[in-house]
Amino acid sequence: MEITVKVRRVPEQEGASRSVVGAESSGEMAGAAQPRTGKARTSTAPGYWQTYHMEAKPTDRILDVLMALKSEQDGTLTFRRSCGHGICGSDAIRINGKNRLACKTLVKDLGPGRAITLEPLKGLPVVKDLVVDMEPFLAAYRSVLPYLIADTSTTPTTERLQSPQEHARFEKTTKCILCAACTTSCPVLWTNPDYTGPMAMVNAHRFVFDSRDVAAEERFAALSDGEGVWRCRTTFNCTEACPRDIPITEVIGELKRAMIAQAL
Amino acid sequence: MKDAETRGGDPTTPAKTTTLSKLGLGGTLYRGSWGQWSWLLHRITGAAVFIFLLLHILDVATIRISPGAFNAVMGIYRHPVMGLGEAVLVAAVVLHALNGVRIIIVDAWSQGAKYHKHLLVGVVVVFLILMAGFLPVHLGNTFGWR
Amino acid sequence: MIPRRDPAKRAVVVPQRAELTSWVIMRVTGALLIVLVGGHLAINLMTGHGVHSVDFAFVSGKWASPFWQVWDLLLLLAGLGHGANGMRTVINDYVRGDRARLTWKLVMGVVVAILVALGSLVIFTHDPCPHGAPADLLPSFCG
Repeated sequence: MEITVKVRRVPEQEGASRSVVGAESSGEMAGAAQPRTGKARTSTAPGYWQTYHMEAKPTDRILDVLMALKSEQDGTLTFRRSCGHGICGSDAIRINGKNRLACKTLVKDLGPGRAITLEPLKGLPVVKDLVVDMEPFLAAYRSVLPYLIADTSTTPTTERLQSPQEHARFEKTTKCILCAACTTSCPVLWTNPDYTGPMAMVNAHRFVFDSRDVAAEERFAALSDGEGVWRCRTTFNCTEACPRDIPITEVIGELKRAMIAQAL
Repeated sequence: MKDAETRGGDPTTPAKTTTLSKLGLGGTLYRGSWGQWSWLLHRITGAAVFIFLLLHILDVATIRISPGAFNAVMGIYRHPVMGLGEAVLVAAVVLHALNGVRIIIVDAWSQGAKYHKHLLVGVVVVFLILMAGFLPVHLGNTFGWR
Repeated sequence: MIPRRDPAKRAVVVPQRAELTSWVIMRVTGALLIVLVGGHLAINLMTGHGVHSVDFAFVSGKWASPFWQVWDLLLLLAGLGHGANGMRTVINDYVRGDRARLTWKLVMGVVVAILVALGSLVIFTHDPCPHGAPADLLPSFCG
């Protein structure tokens, strides 16, 4: 069947002048970056809509559509992809206004007869076309110490045992693939680039509620400042966007309740 | 077969400034669901009621001038247009309050996030019930039916 | 791009638990306001002829009782507190530039402080029987 695909094209941005789709951006194309504390900026991200027509099957993935467009119509079209089956998280983009994985979204999922609109994720600097700079996202991830910190005060004599019940406590948050769909769907992030964001909180939860971990307090400290969990407005966009069905708002709520209990 | 149309001008022309982009809301609309819209409505009703509150404290403060002055200010509230405005205000307050209760439940109850859409339905239902109780009385007073 | 800000370079230094405190205050004042505003609307708009019955005599009658004075004071404090804290978040979200944000918040803070003072004054120094006022506007207990 014939489909129409509208893609947001953004010319390649050098680091300092990268603009953020959906937020303000540097007015000068080639000027220095303006931090959040700077003067008001004057334009949205530079770019334009490009419309393509092509043949596709209803069971084609949007990733297949992009690959076909790139190889047959426009080799300059730029996007990220890797495994192509929903596990690496590389191809999260905005499809018809919602964050989804391109490799897990089928043409038939998007309603017949509508143009398919593809845009880069909102709230992160755009590098080119559908590729965004993941560094701010990953910086937030690192800030919550996303690795097991076990008790090393004594030399262990047995394994660190964990019962199935203890594992179940955090099992849902082990599923994160760092695709950024959740964090870039959050209205808080769009207006506050410093917001820690849902993904970092999910990965904090994964360790905080792991019975083998002892560094919950350090992570709570990272999450309790002005840009941490208390900024969450329970908008639920993250839960809807997550391709791994992690109940993110619920997870953030568990963190909040644990932090209040600890504060008391 | 190459068949591409370019719309919106060449890449060196930035898109025009909009108020939305100044608010950090530029670009296309994110198609979020009930959670997103209920948050936005909560924010809008909250800001609107706050602005009203600032004016309301001032108008009640006129009671310090004289009984006549205060009654004159209250007279403004009796105008039918103000009566309708009050109905909108009460609707905003009730919606904000009920959604606020929903938010408290989502925060405090471990199952709250799971049932947030059900809670939203509850908010709408209770809102309609309360407005059904309030509007006949209030509009009756406004338009002199009572 | 908008780089992550160094917390050490904030325009104003805030304590670590400020955001948590704000979060809790919103819920506490919010719950309180359900009762305070609900009662306020019920008594003022749903009794008698609603707002048409609200005049100098009506308010004087209410404020003759410490119950309503305290109620209205709590309403004033909780309402302005809840609203101002909410608007603080809104200002933080939409106003760009550290100085502009601080200015908006300071102005709002000053306005709220003035209204708290004014409102408290109005409630607690209210004279229900002022000299020279027409008797038909006054509450019945002025005799």
